Formats: sequence, structure tokens, C-alpha cells
Amino acid sequence: MSSPHRTPMPPGEQPRSNPDVRLTVEQASYVYSPNPSQAPLFTLEALSFQAKPGEIVAILGPNASGKSTLLKLISGALEPLSGRVFLNGYATHALPPKTRAQRIALVQQESRLLFPSRTWEFVLQGRHAYGRTLRFETEHDVTIAKNALAQVGAEHLSDRWMDQISGGEKQRVILARALAQQPLLLLLDEPTLHLDIGAQVDLLESLRRLAAENRYTVVVVTHELNLAGEYADQVVLLQKGKCLRVGSPATVFQRELLEQVFQAPLSVEMTPAGRPRVTLFEKT
Amino acid sequence: MRPLTFSRLLLRCGVLLLILFVVVVIALKLGAVQVSLYGLGRDLIRVLLGQTRAISTDYGMIVVDIRLPRILLGIVVGASLSVAGASFQALLRNPLADPYVLGVSSGAAVGAILALIVESHLALSPELAGLITPLGAFIGAAATIAAVYFLGRRDGQIDGGTLLLGGIITASFLSAVIMFLMSTLAGGNLRGASYWLMGDLSTPQPKSLLYLLGIGFVIAAGAIYTTASDLNLLLAGEKEAMHLGVDVPRVRIVVYLAASVLTGLAVSVSGAIGYVGLLVPHVMRLIFGSDHRMLIPASALGGAIALVIADTLARTVVAPSELPVGAMTAMAGAPLFIYLLRRRLA
Amino acid sequence: MLRSFRKSLPKTLSVALVCAVFSVAGLRAQNAAPGVPPAVETREIVDETGRTLRVPVSIERIVSLAPSLTETIYALGLQDRLVGDTDYCDYPPDALKKAKVGGAINPNFEKIAALHPDLVLVTKSINRLDTVRALDTLGIPSYATDPHTVVEIISSTEKLATVLGVPDTGKSLGEDMVRRLAVLQAKLKDVQPSRVLFIVWTEPLISVGKDTFIADALHRAGAISIVDSAKDWPQTNLEEVVRLQPEYLVFAASHSENATRDFDALASRPGWRILDAVHNRRFAVISEAVNRPAPRIVSAIEELARQLHPEAFSDVPAPGKDAAPAGTPTPPPQKPAAKNRADAFSISQECPCAR
Repeated sequence: MSSPHRTPMPPGEQPRSNPDVRLTVEQASYVYSPNPSQAPLFTLEALSFQAKPGEIVAILGPNASGKSTLLKLISGALEPLSGRVFLNGYATHALPPKTRAQRIALVQQESRLLFPSRTWEFVLQGRHAYGRTLRFETEHDVTIAKNALAQVGAEHLSDRWMDQISGGEKQRVILARALAQQPLLLLLDEPTLHLDIGAQVDLLESLRRLAAENRYTVVVVTHELNLAGEYADQVVLLQKGKCLRVGSPATVFQRELLEQVFQAPLSVEMTPAGRPRVTLFEKT
Repeated sequence: MRPLTFSRLLLRCGVLLLILFVVVVIALKLGAVQVSLYGLGRDLIRVLLGQTRAISTDYGMIVVDIRLPRILLGIVVGASLSVAGASFQALLRNPLADPYVLGVSSGAAVGAILALIVESHLALSPELAGLITPLGAFIGAAATIAAVYFLGRRDGQIDGGTLLLGGIITASFLSAVIMFLMSTLAGGNLRGASYWLMGDLSTPQPKSLLYLLGIGFVIAAGAIYTTASDLNLLLAGEKEAMHLGVDVPRVRIVVYLAASVLTGLAVSVSGAIGYVGLLVPHVMRLIFGSDHRMLIPASALGGAIALVIADTLARTVVAPSELPVGAMTAMAGAPLFIYLLRRRLA
Repeated sequence: MLRSFRKSLPKTLSVALVCAVFSVAGLRAQNAAPGVPPAVETREIVDETGRTLRVPVSIERIVSLAPSLTETIYALGLQDRLVGDTDYCDYPPDALKKAKVGGAINPNFEKIAALHPDLVLVTKSINRLDTVRALDTLGIPSYATDPHTVVEIISSTEKLATVLGVPDTGKSLGEDMVRRLAVLQAKLKDVQPSRVLFIVWTEPLISVGKDTFIADALHRAGAISIVDSAKDWPQTNLEEVVRLQPEYLVFAASHSENATRDFDALASRPGWRILDAVHNRRFAVISEAVNRPAPRIVSAIEELARQLHPEAFSDVPAPGKDAAPAGTPTPPPQKPAAKNRADAFSISQECPCAR
């Protein structure tokens, strides 16, 4: 994973020594309030978990449970009110923009474009953090971008316009751009939101493969119970800003707990592979 | 996959430079006073050889001291407005943004007029007096773009529709302020103030101002160019750009200040010339794509070409009288704008 | 292979831009003090705005950037030295034949330069400061006049005559103007000034302020402007005019028909009938010369005085001036004026326009 272009670690903070753990969320909390004198609009209570290289973490919860806020804390876009978020021992929010982009890649729900661009141009944007001011892309960048497209099975889209490909194809290209960043930590915000079920499975299959091959730590925000249950190594269950449980899908997916969180009657069974499967019933 | 290379950038700029050169030569020939192509060529060669004293007096003053400075002024003003337009379009994530539409030109005009009023009360030396108008125009431009930027923000992101409406309201408010200043503070300084509203290049400017303008353009456009690849990512939104490694606050302040300098300088010498900053970047984007490393130099050269052509038409179609160049750009620009808009919608 | 270029890209680009924009400009800077042939002897003069300028001892080529200055040049008999004037210089008709350099506000500098003038004449009330600065940049000397009263118009004319090397002509012209004004003053000494609204523009309604030479000219013609503003060209409105009820509306026009049309247009507007002056068709028309600070303004003053105070010009003195006796419509005052045109100033005869 190391690259000659990586900027050196900023001085001041020393990496914490635990080579096995890559992402550490340590009693991190956050409060949204319009101004200090008013009652907060939303509070994310302190929570902790850790993730290793190659692991997929699912942040699971209904709407307004704090999933996106937690993702922003992990990505470094927000500074935690208390506690810390470390990536390889460095606080994510304190990293300089370029360094952060070399370590953390974020796949957002939708990437809006002002002017049309080609798919390859879009993927090359992932190399921005590796360039100096006004640098033109090198052969090395082009190779990495090509590889990234290949890894998500989208080489054939290379010369298409971004606004002329399907939603599933677009999602894969956005993922390819994130891969071109060669990150340590890959964050995905509701990546399956606009995809049909086949594309959802494709995407998560490739995520699992990529995490295993490239030793990415993957954090996926989702409200799709079954996808989380099937593909995650760890699940962080949130409800109204509280972390209810952290653990393997098998330990988190308890019928009473999920029914209470998602406000729906359901049943949980185990597949032969040891994965939980959830079935929803009609409300009576 | 064919990413932009430096040699391709140079080649394309070279072609544009060649077109600009041809346009400049044609513009040098045309005008209220007839100049023969032979005389012009002979004089040009003499100028290039440094033998300016050998130039015949007939052409000497008209071509070298009136027409050439005016064309150079057109080049710098056109390039400034276009680069400012391209920057505003990326910074504000709005394809309709330009100094004129956003009211920044009007703000600069208000600043320039206020500076003129202040100047007439201070009795400064001519050198300082020449600088106070561009300074006022810059402050006016910067204050206006700050106001429009905050008007256009919703939930921490720029909202296209709100921004444009904010700009249009600001522009009409500032136009009213210009009318007010003109009617209440009439005097020798302000008589031509209607030209702040229309845009005009006909008045020869002092050499010092030309140099200030050129140096200001090189510094401000250069500063914007250092953020060219950041602007590419900003097109996708500030949050996304941040996650791709763009230092958004730094880029925002650099582009915001530099584009205000460009607008202020251009408006202080030429008034509010519309459509150049809006359309030239669009046309260049159609030809060369939306990579700002290519788009910014292409817009600079394209804006120079467009304004020199517009100004040449403005001073020849009704010679020896003149149209304001702003009328010319609006006449050509508005239909082109509608065409581009329909094309986008289609 | 382009790696070395990449590093120096910003520098290369800025250098290229600097070259493109300034190479010619830089060379041009060597060509110092253009337009002034070194052999000609020069002298220093000071204009009415206090600027010192250097002009040839003998000024042979003059460009005028204001109609009033063009008229003054003709009045001084120096029309042969006038090589160019503006599109609006229409008096005397011969001025129309001079080379045109565009408008007074936006003259064409190429045209001016091509005429190689020794001196360009400007006046502060019409021309722009930018124009003067631009002429300075081009090394063309410009002389600015700035009269605010009729007396200053006379002294300004004399001063200009001195600058142009014909002080005696200027002096006799000035003396003639002073004499005619004195005659007029003697005739009007017993009349009560008429209260008038001088209409510069009808839409919007613009009149003149108290510090202008026009206000002074009205005063000398036995009139007083109802508008008392410190601004030169104040905008006013119907309400204000109705409150002040002028006895006469005064129009300046090149054609008397134009003025009649202006008056009819005003009279047909809603609300204007309540003005006594409109109701009784009391309006005076004077030549556009009143708008121009040039020697001809004296004729315009005389003409207005005849229209407003015909009794002062008849041999039998009228029994005091009585404005519009209630109930009976006064005869339109332009009739006696028309009678007087033959001996004083006739708009239609001297009309320079061939339109």
C-alpha cells in the first residue's frame, strides 16, 4: 500500500503502537446546536469501537440515528466534542487535507457534476492528493486509475461521459475514484441507496473482495439489515444518537433489539455460514 | 484515457495566441482614421526593432499611442473578466456566475465612483489619484462578492438558485446606488458615469495605470492558476473536494480575492462590461473541456480575443462616433447565452 | 519527459503572459513626448481651472470640444484656425463643415490626434475630467474654461482671445457685450422680474440651479427662476411647480415649432392645466444660445427680455407690469416677441439646421 508520493506523517503526534488496529473510535461524541445558549438539536453520545485492516464495519440504524454524524467524525470532517478518532494513531480531523485524502476515501451517496466530464477524468480526480500544485498526471497516476476501474469491473466505461451511464455504473466509478486515492480507510455513505438488488449485491461482493485483497478498512453506513448482516465483520448499531451495541452480526442481530430499534416486527435466523438473516413482517 | 499534458496545453495556448495576434493586427488597422496595411506592417517591424522614433508622425500617435494602448487595455480587461468568470463559476458551483450577473461589476463601479468623489475632495497627486479608483473598485468588488456569497449560502453549501437571485438583487440594488450617486453628486468627474453601467474602453488611460493593470492581472490570474486542479474538484462540491484533498478554505480565499482584484481592475478602467466573463469560459469549455488547467489560460486568451473584436466593432460600425463596448458585448452575448442555455436544457 | 517543464510551469506561464502583454507596451514607452515637434517654440499658460500647460507660441490649429467654444472661436474671427469640432457644434452653420471628432462627452481621440491640434479647448461644465486626463496622456495640451456668470463668460472670452493671440478682438467683443447688457439693464430698471420656470428637459422635468450662468442670464433678462437649487441641473416635479406657480414657462429651442410642441406636450399632460402659465399659454421661447456660455448669449438675453417685458421696449412706457388679470386670458406673450424678432434675433432665419 505504501507509495513514494505519500506525504510524511505530520510531526507532533506519535503513532499509537498497535499494528493490528487501524481505526480507533475512542469515546467520541458530537453535539449539533444552532448556538451555544439553545438546546442541542441532536446529540451523538460517546461511543467506541476499533477496526483492523481488511475488516468491514457496518454502521446500522434507522433514519436520524446518528449514522452520518459518526461517519463525519471518522472521516475527519468534524472534530469530536469529546474523545478521539484515530487512524493508525493520528487524529483524523487534525490531518492536513492532502494527507487525509491519501488515507481516507469517502464514497458519498451521489456525486453531482456541474459540467460533464469523462469517466477517466473523474477517476483521476482521486489522484489529486498525490500531486503538487499544478502537477499534470503522470503515467503512474494513469496506471493506478486504470487499475481502480478494473478492480470495480468498469474498464469498459473509461471513455464514457459521467452523465450518460447508469446509476449502478456511476456508483462503481465513484468507488473506483476512491480506490485511486489508495486509502487505508474506505468510507461509504449509503452506497446502495439508489441501486437495484443485483447491483447492491455486486457492490458489496466487490467491497468484500477489495477489503481482503488490499487490506482496506471499510466502514459502510447503511440501513439495509440483511446487507449488513451478510457482509459486515462488525456492526455498530445506533438509535437516536446512542450506540446500543457493537459486535459481530451474530451478536448484534437479536430479534428484540432490532424490533425495538427499527420499530417493526421481524424474525432473525442464522444461515449455515453463521450469518444472521432478517425477515420483516407486516405490522399488526 | 488521455490526461492533459503540458505540451498539449502549450500547443492549444499557442493556437489561441496566434489568433489573438491576427485579431490585434486587424484591430490596429481598423478605426476612425485610415491606416494602410503597408504602413502598419512597416511600423510594427520598427516597433519590434525598437526604432520607435522612425515611425511616421501620422501613424505614430494614432496607432502607437491611441490604438495600441486601447487594444492592450481590451486584452487585459477581456482576459481579467473571463478568468474571473471561470473562477466564479467553479468557486460558486454555478454555470451562470460571472462578475456582471453576480453584481460584482456593479459593486466595483460603486466603489470606483465613491473613490472618484473621495479623490475630488482630497486633492491628491496625479500618481496617487490614478491608483485610488482601482483600489475603490477592488474594495467594491470584494465587498459585493462577499455579500452575494453569504446571500447564496444555505446549510453551509452554496445554493445555485439562491445565489443567482442574490446576485441579481444585489446588481439591481447597486445600479440604483450608481444612479443615485450620479444624480446627487453631479460634477465634472461623474458626467460620464453612465459608462460605468455600460462599459467603455474609449478613453486613453495613463501608462502607469496600464502597467498596474497588467501586473495586477498577471499576479491575480497566476494566483488563480495555482488552484486550477483544486477548482476541478470544487465543481463536485466543497465537501467532496475536501475529501479528495482540497484545502477548501485556502482555495476559496485565494480565488475569491484574486477574482475580486481582476474584476475591480477591469471595472475601474472600463466600467461594467457584461457577458464576456459569462460566455467566454463556456465557449472555451465546449472546445477544450472543463479542466481548469486548460480552461483558465484558454479563457484569458479567449476573453482577450473576444473583447478586442467587440471593441474594434464598437469603434468602427458607427465611426467616427462610437458605441460603448458593453453594448456590443451584450448585443452579441445575449443571443449566444440563450443558445447555450437551450443547448444545456435540451 | 516533460517533468522539468512541470516544475517551472507557473513561472513559464507568467513570463509568457508578461511578454505577450508588455513587450510592445514597453518598447512604446521609449517613444517619449509624442506629438510635440521639438523645433517649435513654446510658452506656458494657465487655464481657468488653474492648470498650467505648455503651448506653441503661435496657436494655429485648434480643436473645440464644446459648441460654446466653437461659437466663441467664430465670434473672435478665428474660424480658419479651427480644424475640428464636435457633432453638436451647429452654430454658425459653417461650423457644421468642420472635421467632426465625435461628441463632447465621448470624443474620438484618434480623430483629435489625426488633426494635430496645437490646443484643444474644453469647458468644465460639459467635458469630462477623463477626457482632459486622456489628452494629457497623449501629450495634447487642453485649455479649460469655466464661466459661471454672464460677466465670467465675457472675461472668459477675453482671456481666451489673449491666449489665442488676438487680445484686441477679444476686448472689443467683450466691450460690445457689456454695452448691450448695460442698455438692456437701463430698459428693464423699472420692471418687476417675472417668475419663470426654465425648462431644460421635460421628461424628467429638469431646470437650472442658481449657480449657473443661465440663472444669471435669466436675471439679466428680467426674469427670476422659481427653482432655487444649489445643483446645476436640478430635477423638479409638477407638485413643486404648482406650488410656486411660475408666470412664464421658458423653453430653449433651435426651432420655435419645437418649443410649441414641447409646450403642447406639457399642456396635454394630466395636471398641468392647473398651472396658470399653461392655462393662459404664457411661455417664452429663446434660442439655444442661452445654453451656451458664448458671446451669443447676450442676444438670447435680449430676446427673452423682449418676450417677457414687451412694454419696456415700446416707446410709450407701459403702466407697470401686471401679470394675468384674473378671469381674462392674457394674450400669448410670444406674439410681441415674434414682432421683435425681425430686429433682434430670429430663430427661424438663423436656424443652422438643414433638417
